[in-house]
Amino acid sequence: MLDFLFYLFSALTLLSALLVVVNRNAVNAAMFMIITFVGMAGLFLLLNAYFLAVLQVLVYAGAVMVLFLFIIMLLDVEHASKVRPDTLTVVASGIGFLLLASGVCTLFLYGGVEPSYFPESVPELPLTAHSNANPLEYTTAARSFGYGLFTKYMLPFQMTGFLLLIAMIGVIVLSKQYTQPNIAGSKDATIKR
Amino acid sequence: MELETLLTAILLVPLGSAAMIALFLRRGGYAAAAVSVVAAAVILGLSLTFLLTWNGVTQEVSTVWLTLGSYEVTMGFLVNYQTATMLFIVAFVGFWIHVFSVGYMNEDESKGRFFGGLSIFMFSMLGIVLANNLIMIFVFWELVGFSSYMLIAHYWDKDYAAAASKKAFIVNRVGDFGFILGIVWTYWQYGTTNLVLLDAQLNNDASTVLGLLLACGFIGKSAQFPLHVWLTDAMAGPTPVSALIHAATMVAAGVYFMARIFFMLSPETQEVILWLCAAMTLFAGLCALGQTDIKKTLAYSTLSHLGFMGAAIGLGFPSLALLHMAMHAFFKATLFLCSGSVIHACHHEQDMFKMGGLWRKMPITTLTCILAALSIMAVPYFAGFYSKDTILSGAWLLAHTDGRYYVIYAILLLAALSTALYTGRMVWVVFFGQSNSDNAAHAKESNLFMTVPLLVLAAFSVGAAWFLEFDVSLLPETVTVALKHGYATITQADVVHHSHYLLLGLSVGVMIVGVLATFFFYGPGASEDKLQRRYGLVYKILHKHGWFDDVYDAYVVKVQQRVADFFGFLDLILISGFMVRGTAGLAGLLSLVTRSFHVGSIHGYVYWFLAGVVIFGAFAFHLI
Amino acid sequence: MSITLNEFLFVSGLLFTIGFLGVLLRRNTLIIYMGLELMLNAVNLALVGFSRFNQTMDGNIFVFFIITVAAAEVAVGLAIIVALYRKRQTVMVDELNALSH
Repeated sequence: MLDFLFYLFSALTLLSALLVVVNRNAVNAAMFMIITFVGMAGLFLLLNAYFLAVLQVLVYAGAVMVLFLFIIMLLDVEHASKVRPDTLTVVASGIGFLLLASGVCTLFLYGGVEPSYFPESVPELPLTAHSNANPLEYTTAARSFGYGLFTKYMLPFQMTGFLLLIAMIGVIVLSKQYTQPNIAGSKDATIKR
Repeated sequence: MELETLLTAILLVPLGSAAMIALFLRRGGYAAAAVSVVAAAVILGLSLTFLLTWNGVTQEVSTVWLTLGSYEVTMGFLVNYQTATMLFIVAFVGFWIHVFSVGYMNEDESKGRFFGGLSIFMFSMLGIVLANNLIMIFVFWELVGFSSYMLIAHYWDKDYAAAASKKAFIVNRVGDFGFILGIVWTYWQYGTTNLVLLDAQLNNDASTVLGLLLACGFIGKSAQFPLHVWLTDAMAGPTPVSALIHAATMVAAGVYFMARIFFMLSPETQEVILWLCAAMTLFAGLCALGQTDIKKTLAYSTLSHLGFMGAAIGLGFPSLALLHMAMHAFFKATLFLCSGSVIHACHHEQDMFKMGGLWRKMPITTLTCILAALSIMAVPYFAGFYSKDTILSGAWLLAHTDGRYYVIYAILLLAALSTALYTGRMVWVVFFGQSNSDNAAHAKESNLFMTVPLLVLAAFSVGAAWFLEFDVSLLPETVTVALKHGYATITQADVVHHSHYLLLGLSVGVMIVGVLATFFFYGPGASEDKLQRRYGLVYKILHKHGWFDDVYDAYVVKVQQRVADFFGFLDLILISGFMVRGTAGLAGLLSLVTRSFHVGSIHGYVYWFLAGVVIFGAFAFHLI
Repeated sequence: MSITLNEFLFVSGLLFTIGFLGVLLRRNTLIIYMGLELMLNAVNLALVGFSRFNQTMDGNIFVFFIITVAAAEVAVGLAIIVALYRKRQTVMVDELNALSH
């Protein structure tokens, strides 16, 4: 059963990823991107990373793609859907794609990681809160995330906070307009801010 | 004056004259002529000084000119009796032809170029005369070829003159190819190209092929079979050039060279040369009957007499060849200058059959021409007789030991007949009878510049050989020493002595037959060539001189040009295509690739990423 | 299940390649950006797979961070694209080459 689900979700992901890339219409591409993220969430579920699956859908499909769609609507991408890439670009990128894909296939076909079987059981909850033997054991509970974030990965956690702040400021600064629109009759038509 | 200085001065004076004309007097006209004539006079004076003060001892001086590792190229002078003879001829005949040119070229606009060319020619010729090693001879050999090229193309605006000069140079170069192979072989085998050192090592026992290779130079320069095709076309140059270069001196340089290196010629080489030149003698003599142009007739005559000289070498009498060369220089120069005088008076009309009756209008020219004609036909006691008949006697002498030489004798006798025929034809048609054109009717005697050289040279063509029989000598003592030897050897041999009257009778008889035959066949002052009219086929063969030109033409166009085109194509593809433009293209390609770094294209940058990943992957997969 | 780590890595690799194809092929900046996001997601999948294989949470936490940072990056990136659009009135990368003439 799980095998079948794996094949389903991976096919869904890969197919919609491909459709994202070849779609001429940017909105269509964004839609297929969302499907890709849903597929990814499915794959995460198969790996017992339930928290991440939800996070994926919430953040990526929910926030990031909505932002993408807003921007697509904001910019005039009409004429962009009418032009096709020239033959040279298609051929060259096809060759590049084949190169990388063949590299990946070779890795897969010639063994890959050994051994590769996943361990059978994944506990629901952490066994012990402060056990010295593997405090960060793989569990499905969100509590382990919190535990890891606030002990081992405290510094990156704080840095990420700062990063978000900076990103916010950056976005505000970048989207500011520096010349006032010309108001008829106004003496100070352009105010530099 | 010291010998070395004297000879260096003789060599360099014409070079100085040529340089002065080239630098300052290009449009000089009579000023250039004066410089050149003065230079020729100085050469004559210095040569006479040398000849009269030389003590007869063979001398050699040389300096090193070029050092290439262990190989040294030297420049030097070798002075022996042969040198003396040739030096006198070149200086003397050269001087009088310079004087003649002043008169002949009086209407020409490019006198500067002409006299500069004459001076360069004198320099090159004297270089050959005085040289002491094969390399130096070769250098001046080429220089002589160059001056000939320059002078033949004097009327460069005429296509046939430009083509003729190219033909002369190229055919000469073909001969020089063999020549240079011979020089290389000589150096390789004997370690030296110096004539004195080679003389000490050899005694007619060098390899036959080597001798033949060196003879290639002779064949090219002296226009023997099969490289004779250039001489008749070379008549496109002005008449003084034909007289000086293509009659008296340059073509004789081949013979002089053969005489100089006679010790290198094995008996087999001599035999080959003998048969080749004997055949040429007869063939050229007959072809002279197929020409209506007076200068071309004389050109074939020159070919024929060069054949005589070659035959003398082939018979084994180099001094005899020199003797005939000297006599030939005198009478052939006279004949050419006469023809020049006639041509000049008839306003550059060169067809014999449009002249006629000139003896009334140009008495001096007629007289000198008749004297030279008698000499070339070998009338007894004239200069030509002593040299030409002695060659015939030499063949007769050798025939007594080897019957094949009777054939040679017969060929040479027939050649003598043909000499009489074409000379007789020329004299009767040009000078006697009635005028055949307006130009001829209005001719008058040429000016002093032209007649004085004619008289002097005619006098020499009559009496130059008197030193052989009488005690009077028109030539300096030192000149005659070399020439007496061969003559004495032959005429005092028993066989020749006994058949003396037979031989004399034969040659005189042949001459009389020839003269009378032409008188009755062509008639004095004939206006058309009877041979052409009556015996068209014979005339055609002779006129086309055996279709040699056509054969060579076909070879060049069909074979050689195609080979050259093929190599040209290879050069275009391989050398300028792949190697030159290919490397440039490669560099361009590289630059185009690296240019993508600096263009603002995002895709370009991404492809570079991909390239990096691929290289990394190849590394990881142990491919590189 | 009989799906091993290798299969997950294969899917991850392919996804990455498809994202790279998008960057190579398209000239619309927004689609190129989507390709970048695909690549990031592929990495996420690989990380979770390894984390599950090694029975440790580190990989998952790393993915947590990647998702966060990617979101922030998308915000800033799109702001840049908007600013660029305001200047040049275009989002096609071959027209955005004013640095080189």
